[in-house]
Amino acid sequence: MSPPLLEMSGVRKRYGGVQALDGAGLTAVRGEVHALLGPNGSGKSTLDKTLAGTVVPDAGTIRIDGAEASVGGPRDAHALGVAAVYQQLSVVGDLTVTQNIVLGLEPARRFGFLDQRAARDRAGAALERFAAAFAGRLPLDRPAGALGPGEQQIVEVAKALARRPRILVLDEATASLHKEQVDVLFDVVRELRADGVLVLFTSHRLDEVFALCDRATVLRNGRTVGTVELAATDEDELVRLMVGDAPHQAPRTPSDAPATPSVAAPGTSTLEVRGLSADRLRDVSFTVRSGEVLGLGGLQGQGQSELLLALFGGARVTAGEAVLDGRPLPRSSPAKAARAGVALVPGDRGRQGMFAVRPIQENLSLASMRRRATGRLALRAAAERRAATSMVERLRIKIGSLADPVSTLSGGNQQKVVIGKWLLDRPRVVLLDDPTKGVDVAAKEEIYAIIRGLAADGAVVILNSSDNRELTELSDRVLVLFEGAVAEELGADAISERRLVSSALRLAPGEKL
Amino acid sequence: MTGVLDRVRGVQLSGLATVAMLVVAVAVNASLQPNFWDSYALTSNFATFVPLVAIAVGQTIVVLSGGLDLSLGAQVTLASVVAVRIVDGSLDRYPLAVAAALGVGLACGALNGLVVALLRLQPIVATFATSFVYSGLALVVLPTPGGSVPFEVTTAYRDSVLGVPVALLLIVALALLWLVLRRHRVMRHVYAVGGDADAAYASLVPVARTRVWAYVLGGLFAALSALAILANTGSGDPFVGNELTLASVAAVVIGGTALAGGRGGAGGSVIGAIVLALVANIIFFADVPTDYRQLVNGAVIILALALAGIPALQKRRAA
Ligand SMILES: Nc1ncnc2c1ncn2[C@@H]1O[C@H](COP(=O)(O)OP(=O)(O)O)[C@@H](O)[C@H]1O
Ligand SMILES: [Mg+2]
Repeated sequence: MSPPLLEMSGVRKRYGGVQALDGAGLTAVRGEVHALLGPNGSGKSTLDKTLAGTVVPDAGTIRIDGAEASVGGPRDAHALGVAAVYQQLSVVGDLTVTQNIVLGLEPARRFGFLDQRAARDRAGAALERFAAAFAGRLPLDRPAGALGPGEQQIVEVAKALARRPRILVLDEATASLHKEQVDVLFDVVRELRADGVLVLFTSHRLDEVFALCDRATVLRNGRTVGTVELAATDEDELVRLMVGDAPHQAPRTPSDAPATPSVAAPGTSTLEVRGLSADRLRDVSFTVRSGEVLGLGGLQGQGQSELLLALFGGARVTAGEAVLDGRPLPRSSPAKAARAGVALVPGDRGRQGMFAVRPIQENLSLASMRRRATGRLALRAAAERRAATSMVERLRIKIGSLADPVSTLSGGNQQKVVIGKWLLDRPRVVLLDDPTKGVDVAAKEEIYAIIRGLAADGAVVILNSSDNRELTELSDRVLVLFEGAVAEELGADAISERRLVSSALRLAPGEKL
Repeated sequence: MTGVLDRVRGVQLSGLATVAMLVVAVAVNASLQPNFWDSYALTSNFATFVPLVAIAVGQTIVVLSGGLDLSLGAQVTLASVVAVRIVDGSLDRYPLAVAAALGVGLACGALNGLVVALLRLQPIVATFATSFVYSGLALVVLPTPGGSVPFEVTTAYRDSVLGVPVALLLIVALALLWLVLRRHRVMRHVYAVGGDADAAYASLVPVARTRVWAYVLGGLFAALSALAILANTGSGDPFVGNELTLASVAAVVIGGTALAGGRGGAGGSVIGAIVLALVANIIFFADVPTDYRQLVNGAVIILALALAGIPALQKRRAA
């Protein structure tokens, strides 16, 4: 018997304190649509990237047709017949659709001068089969950045197909597609399967997986936990594989909270959100009181971050309102929201939350300077230093000196600086957007203690997390979002990792899991 | 998607702004400079434009790739002093001098490219550092102003063909060279890398090699700038390129190329360079006292940059 087309084994990859892959692998054959499944953060995208050459693993082997392959970069992967559609799009917005589809493999005449006609022909041929998704008119000469997200996704797929792969990786390629676009994509994938191509397919929509795929390999915490024939498997079993037999995690009770840092403003507050709609948010309503941690769950990108941003005045709200203690929150200005007592700890700390090369002290005191400014202008160096020092102590941030740049800290301590920056402003409402993403385990626990402390001190806490365990440990209630709307509310006794996963995947509630 | 529309509009608007600045600069200059439209004045004006136009095209390519080259002026100096030492007044040796200047430019560009792409130093820091190396070498090659360019070259440079100044033809030739380069795969990759280096890498674009190419092309245009300066002044000067670096960056910005990379083109920079040269002219003919010329020039450049930047600001506010 001939060897399988693709065999990956023992793949490991570490990012700072996070072991993204810890001995993952999979085996798949030609003419197969093979699903790669697992909860958020289980390492699916990282495994795809090691195959496509954009991530170089720390260890592990890849065999193609039985021969060990060394994939040092995307060009090696291309030579082996691998093409990928990434979860984060790799479309260059300023180039046209044609230029994107042929990018890196531009047809050229002598001396490397571009053959524009050949490029258009090739791009047209690749996009042709998706004509239905563009209402029949191929946007070959439009800048790719001017297309809608679904259309850009299709361009990505066309670009991968134009590379004539033997192995096609589709990582959440349907995430931003409409139903009709998905149908077109699935027809194309089935054609490829008939031609002997192996398609690795990752999607959070289990109905798509069952409709399209032959087998599925499941990852959990960076390890492969098994491969199943989908025809002989039901959704329950898949979810069980994805979540594992982890013991039911009791939701926190106020008494578990260890000696907690006291930072939030005292008093009691109520945040009431009524019919809030914005870009990617539909009619969200809920009420949270001081002392409560409200979790936001669901698949990634279902509007959780948008909800937090809308509450922080950073999104264009089209309907509804958020009322804090009877006063509507400002809609259009983060600065006003901050003054009204709202703080947002962003998930993408590198880009939004801090100034990496500036000193720790400056980062800590930035958001709250106006509180200590004398006559709204002058800053007193001593007061600034005192405030920063007290926060470093309360949050147990491990630092050398307040004058060191934040970039010298570990990920967990950097994130504490971002949290501390807002706590110095004594917020009544704390919005946390995936606050422990990429943070190591020990630092996670400390950040959990800080979050519990905030609630215990009477802040309204709303926590979005892509980590279901984090939600079970911290939340009093969880709102599961789907496509921008609240799909389900889980009360304290209903919160478990398994329930979160099945609810996120929109399995009927109350199924015997 | 409004963001993208705004962005496209931003580019067009700044194109308009660039042309508007050119029109204003020409009008003011024409009103101040006697006989501005006479062939003699036109010829000598265009003769001073060429070096700045050439270096601006080179800077554009580097900026489009997502980089910046603060050593371009020093490269102009080094290439020009090497060439003037070789030619030493003899027309026979002129081809050799041209080849040497081009070689110097390409070598300096390659060194910058390697430092930026392989050692991954910040372009601003890396090229600022190499600029000292290049100007230091220039001082070794030619410690004090001197040397001479064959008069055939300087005469031809200020000549005109069928009433069209040779210098204007050279500017057209530079623009054509840019148009040819634009059709080359390397320039496509330059745009892709400057637009989104990660996406370009994932799409099989050789990112590091493309960055090196961008600096090499920058060096090539620095060498062309050096040859134009020699033809214009007739002798060598180890400080001649000092002010060209910042002028090249200003020309790129005025021309509407995004300093972030990936968007724009050398057409705007050519106009930007001409605007800057006209501003220097205007200051001269407006009888600004010598001590204040530099100050006024700087203020005008800042004003022009601000005008060029307004569309970008509007875009940010709209987004
Ligand atoms: N570039 C990166 N830097 C740091 N951590 C990362 C990076 N990429 C992924 N991770 C982390 O690795 C883990 C696996 O991520 P990923 O492969 O994207 O999972 P999945 O695709 O299954 O959701 C996550 O904990 C994620 O936060
Ligand atoms: Mg992923």
